[in-house]
Amino acid sequence: MRTVVSLMLIAIVAAGIIVSLSQAPVGAEAARQEGRLKQDDVNFGRYYNNRALEETGAANVVASVVVSYRGLDTLGEVAVLFIAALGVATLLRTKQERKPKGEVEQASLIVFTGCRFLFPLILLFAAYIFAHGHLTPGGGFQGGAVTASGFVLIYLGCRGRAVGAKQLSATESLSGLVFVITGLVGLALGGSFLLNFLPRGTTYALFSAGVIPIIYIAIGLKVSSELGGIVGTLAGEGE
Amino acid sequence: MVSPIILIAVPLGLAFLTTLLGLLSEKLPKYIPAVAMAFNLVVSIRLLPHALQAPIVAKTVGLSPPFSIHLVAGPLGMMLSVLISLVGLVIAAYAIGYMGREARSRYHALYLLLLTGATGVVLTGDLFNLFVFFEILCISSYALVGYRGDKPGIESAAKYLIQGAVGSSLALVGIGFLYGLFGTLSMADIARNITSVSPMAVFISMAFLVTGFGVEAAVFPLNAWLPDAHSSAPSSISAILSGIAIKAGIYAVARVVFTVYGADAILVFVAVVGLVTLLVGEMSAFRQKNIKRLLAYSSIGQMGLIVFALGLASARGVEGALFLVVSHAFAKALLFLSTGYMIYRTGSMEISSLHGMGRRMPVSSLCFTIAAFSLIGLPPFIGFPGKFMIISAALAKADTLFTVLIAIALFGTVVEGAYFFRIVQGLYFKAVPEDAGANLGEDVEAPLSALVPICVLAVAIVAVGVCPYVLTRYLGAAAADLLDRAAYIRHVLGV
Amino acid sequence: MSFLENYIHYLGSFGLILIGLYVVLVKSNLVKVIIGINLIDTGVNLFLISVGYIRMGTAPIFSRATTTAEGMVDPVPQALVLTAIVIGVSVLGLALSVAIRLYGHYGTLDLRKIRDLKW
Repeated sequence: MRTVVSLMLIAIVAAGIIVSLSQAPVGAEAARQEGRLKQDDVNFGRYYNNRALEETGAANVVASVVVSYRGLDTLGEVAVLFIAALGVATLLRTKQERKPKGEVEQASLIVFTGCRFLFPLILLFAAYIFAHGHLTPGGGFQGGAVTASGFVLIYLGCRGRAVGAKQLSATESLSGLVFVITGLVGLALGGSFLLNFLPRGTTYALFSAGVIPIIYIAIGLKVSSELGGIVGTLAGEGE
Repeated sequence: MVSPIILIAVPLGLAFLTTLLGLLSEKLPKYIPAVAMAFNLVVSIRLLPHALQAPIVAKTVGLSPPFSIHLVAGPLGMMLSVLISLVGLVIAAYAIGYMGREARSRYHALYLLLLTGATGVVLTGDLFNLFVFFEILCISSYALVGYRGDKPGIESAAKYLIQGAVGSSLALVGIGFLYGLFGTLSMADIARNITSVSPMAVFISMAFLVTGFGVEAAVFPLNAWLPDAHSSAPSSISAILSGIAIKAGIYAVARVVFTVYGADAILVFVAVVGLVTLLVGEMSAFRQKNIKRLLAYSSIGQMGLIVFALGLASARGVEGALFLVVSHAFAKALLFLSTGYMIYRTGSMEISSLHGMGRRMPVSSLCFTIAAFSLIGLPPFIGFPGKFMIISAALAKADTLFTVLIAIALFGTVVEGAYFFRIVQGLYFKAVPEDAGANLGEDVEAPLSALVPICVLAVAIVAVGVCPYVLTRYLGAAAADLLDRAAYIRHVLGV
Repeated sequence: MSFLENYIHYLGSFGLILIGLYVVLVKSNLVKVIIGINLIDTGVNLFLISVGYIRMGTAPIFSRATTTAEGMVDPVPQALVLTAIVIGVSVLGLALSVAIRLYGHYGTLDLRKIRDLKW
């Protein structure tokens, strides 16, 4: 009964989607074929592609869109991840039945040593990704995800070692504050939130594009600590 | 004149600060939400006169719309921002005492983020930004509903989460459709271009968006999560969810339907859906024996009435809907807050255990009665002008369909009056049950930290009820903000 | 053929969304429902990205090889999807924690049996 009703509902939704797609052209490719892409209108990002290099100085247009043009969305997204970390820590707080140290089965020597060796390399790679976010594909979120995978490696391979929960929590709060304060400084100096108030610098250099590297590093640290915290709580190492 | 962006940025920063302070001290974090909401209240009230003349368009990154995200703080947005900060402040003050040692810094950070999300929803002018702040609101409420970790709380959180997550994804599909058609995300820009495509092309995206935002707004048939979630959460969270969160959902639906789509044809359908919600909510509430579930079903019913009033699409109807939003926020928050301590003292949520509370907790019972009468719509409380406006707006349409609908709505109000009178009668005129709860000690009345916020809300209900002009003078501009698309587009884009 | 060429991305993404919707509506195991929610999220992200695609377009990154903006795909959906993926991960994390606690309370993950809060 439930299956039949659900299938009917899905069929109705599919029919609606097909009708809608056939009525008007959807997508940037369709708009280009119709000749509707004007250069200096927002129209499917033409404005951002053409002006991002001069206005923000970042070679990666997606980075300037994420941090600068749509920076308020990114602030909200960082807040969502913060809520998730808090929520996971709250929900799992009484679930900890940690096995006493002696009973935890250690991984074999090769795995253990390999993990210890790889972990700082992974952190270095993640730092490279989020420091160069404005020049190459990458950025804060991607770097943070790589760091979190490093944490997962430690939890799986080197049982018994853990990253301090308090340090992670302090890092995430501080980096969030850096992001908000950067935006507010932009508001105070130039009248708009998240204004790019540092000089553009030379393109393709590491220290260019104004506040974008700063914000990306803050986002990178925040995402690393939050995802690391979530993973740690799920693995049973939280407080 | 400060930029309205600080209404969002400062509470967000303080929320990040709360967990940091929680590492350093045990007692400081519980004052931060109240401080942040007091700040928001002061700034919103300062900005309200400016917003009444012309909507304040706050740019980010120094670029004007539609090239960057912008906030549009119009009369409606600022009025709702004042409401959110006022109710948030009162409930935060209540929670300082009520949550006690149970709430660590995480509760307060989540609470403050919920309010930040709500403020962001009502102030933004960009469609995807609306979605992001809406998600902040929803996800923090998922976490807060399950905060206590007890069996009903976790079960409600699971159901709420599943329905909310599916709804949000569907809303995102709708946003994707709109972007695919027009190439821009600013609501004013989409509104300007929407007439250039045929209605069938945008109908499915409107359906997706309304369904997605409607899960949080609790319209029938998407409201299955509400009775569980609002009854199993801690009382201060039930109050903020019923008072503010579902209003933010209604605002999102209204903004999308009225401003982005300008859909006048579907409004009759909207009114009928609202009426069905009203009937379902009130009739289910009548049968409840659990006080918090009763209040939750009553919230569904009132949301139905608000949606019905919005579906009338006349200026008077929208003004009535907005008045009802404010009055319901005050009354429902007061109901949940005053029953919070009653439930705590008696240890049970059954209505029968509330009998005789009139003698044992006189102030709480008096405030409960004031709120209940206001919800029913008796003068001289704040509920009366709201319902009166809706009835007169429906009659002014002079359409037999609407007369029939308003008669059904009045029947719903009668049912509501019946069950609230039954409770109030139980509070004052029935004897204390034999097995009075174990927590009754010497001072039975709620402590001062709870009584002050409760009395503030009760005084507000009576004061605005006696002198509704305080509220109605803003409503004309606020209703025009919602109904007048051309003016909105002109203010934001300058065309 | 041209229809398929132009619309293959949309077929794929909406197929994923509808399959995910089917899983959420019909299955009764909580973990399967969570996987269904994840399928819907993936489908929606794919749909958003394909809206910005331009035939034979390149990534919107300037370098010594790419110095003009012609033929770059739309960067805005990429930013939107970045946000949407993060939101999806957050919901997934919360959902899994709720599932763990629910299993602790009820001893089962069957949603038909988890109906303590009735009418």
